[in-house]
Amino acid sequence: MKTAVTSILLAIVLASVVSLPVLAQESSAITITMTGLDEISISLDKTDWSLGFIASDTTHETDPAIQWCTLTVGGTCNVNTFITGGDAEWISDPSYKWTLSNDGTNGVHTYGLWFRISGDTARGYVPITKTQGEFWPPPLGSSLAPGDSSQFGLRLLSPTYFYSSRQMQTQITISAVAA
Amino acid sequence: MVQPIRLAGLIAGFLVMIFPSLALAENVNFSVVPAEVHIDTLLPGEETEFELTIHNKDDIVHNYTITTSTPLEDQTREGRARFPDDDWITFSRQRIEITADSQANVTVVVAIPQEQRWAGRDWETWLGVTAESSDMLAVRLYVRLLVSTGGRRFNPGLVAGIAVAVVLLGFGSYYYFKRRPRPE
Repeated sequence: MKTAVTSILLAIVLASVVSLPVLAQESSAITITMTGLDEISISLDKTDWSLGFIASDTTHETDPAIQWCTLTVGGTCNVNTFITGGDAEWISDPSYKWTLSNDGTNGVHTYGLWFRISGDTARGYVPITKTQGEFWPPPLGSSLAPGDSSQFGLRLLSPTYFYSSRQMQTQITISAVAA
Repeated sequence: MVQPIRLAGLIAGFLVMIFPSLALAENVNFSVVPAEVHIDTLLPGEETEFELTIHNKDDIVHNYTITTSTPLEDQTREGRARFPDDDWITFSRQRIEITADSQANVTVVVAIPQEQRWAGRDWETWLGVTAESSDMLAVRLYVRLLVSTGGRRFNPGLVAGIAVAVVLLGFGSYYYFKRRPRPE
């Protein structure tokens, strides 16, 4: 009897030595670090592009074509930049849309959008899609630093067919995150 | 059949206008501080908060919206997984009006549910601040939010292993002491 009790006690003590540190929950102060209080900022010198009357299945470019808008990096940190677009909506009734194509091509009630960065000869015009894509390409440097600027232009390919006399509106979002 | 439709579309197309905006073209220039926030050792069941400062650097008033956003997979910091639930992050204001050349703060609260499975994790999510505009081009700035939870994850396999070890050790010790020759 004495042997059995000793054995069980020994087993419990040994098991506790191994398991308690593993099962115990750590308790320590929460630490919040705001990396050097870095400031993130980008600015655009132009945000509006009014096309006026357009025909179906036609291509329209900003003027100047690839130096239309200047993106400038402010703040204190390097940034990675992205671009995304959306469907164009009739301002009187947003249920009528032109769907933004995912490869820059057009179709019936489907339009294409492109952008081109000045100096980016490798990519040329790049389709803008509803999925966030890289704006500043790695071959030109993985990120932009404070003080850097980049000029770009836009191209729109109208649908092959659409309903007439409707004022359409769309938006392209350029975004940035700390590199 | 296709040809008449295409022809009708071409005729109609000349009558269509695109007006991305009825307002005058504007610049957009603002900043957010900090660009990156690290929260460490936040235990399940606990919450913490910090402030974002949005600075409107334009000479006109702007409205800004603040939302959470899933990071692009190849853009997250090394070893960081996607934040499990955006509802765990709340903002004191999701839309804020800031007058020309001035700044305002938004408080961000991060609360982790009291479940042991959320212990010992490293997550990343992005907080997007967008300057509202009816223009064709808009700007959004993302703040990286890196959250590491404290504590240790409950490991059912480990607990079962320890239980089996206790039993085997007990039996082993019992037989060892029982069969050991007693001194005369």
